[in-house]
Amino acid sequence: MEELTCISCGAYIKVGGGSVKFPCPECEALIVRCERCRKLGRRYRCECGFEGP
Amino acid sequence: METKLTSLDNYLAAGVHIGTQQKNADMMPYIYRVRPDGLYVLDVKKTDERIATVAKFLAKFEPSKILIVSRRQYGQKPIEQLARLIGAKAIAGRFIPGTLTNPNLKHFVEPDVLVVTDPRGDEQALREAADIGIPVVALCDTDNSAAGVDIVIPTNNKGRKALALVYWLLAREILRARGMDVEDFMPLEEFEGEV
Repeated sequence: MEELTCISCGAYIKVGGGSVKFPCPECEALIVRCERCRKLGRRYRCECGFEGP
Repeated sequence: METKLTSLDNYLAAGVHIGTQQKNADMMPYIYRVRPDGLYVLDVKKTDERIATVAKFLAKFEPSKILIVSRRQYGQKPIEQLARLIGAKAIAGRFIPGTLTNPNLKHFVEPDVLVVTDPRGDEQALREAADIGIPVVALCDTDNSAAGVDIVIPTNNKGRKALALVYWLLAREILRARGMDVEDFMPLEEFEGEV
């Protein structure tokens, strides 16, 4: 399983089981969110300036 | 204030900006002001920008891998129309538990992205999307939490006309992003649910 870092908290995560990865709607850079940050609705900011959720 | 997709008057007439008397901290960036009667009003410009962004995002997915759900009655006709136009799958009404997680069910589906009309009403779909790890786009009002949601469209998700306008714009912009001609796009009234 590939190891990536969460865009909000920077923790190393394994994608699957609650975490998610998707292309940024603006710049198509990969956005990875860990299960915890997703569950808490934590904000994230892509390097292109797109802010979510 | 300028909006890209349709005029500000159209947004205001449909009541897209009308929030609730409750606010959630997750939705604070999208709240424009509080009316004297305590009603929170959404920033229509941000709604407009998000619809354009989400349309671009959804256009990148294979149409049959997009799942749109609405437990809310006024969202059911709009999602069916949107799904028909863009070739996606819609689940209007009750979301049967296991639809995304139990391969033994005959209506089991494996979407790549989920669109929900109300994170509170469509909680089961949201939970199953988190289990299988697919991105979630949600129409959120001022009182909704962004928990489990990856991209929020801040809008009134209770009004008949507001839901029709948001899904109509999404359908038009997705088709436009796919390079299709949307000059004489279907009338908005065909997206509105029955009263």
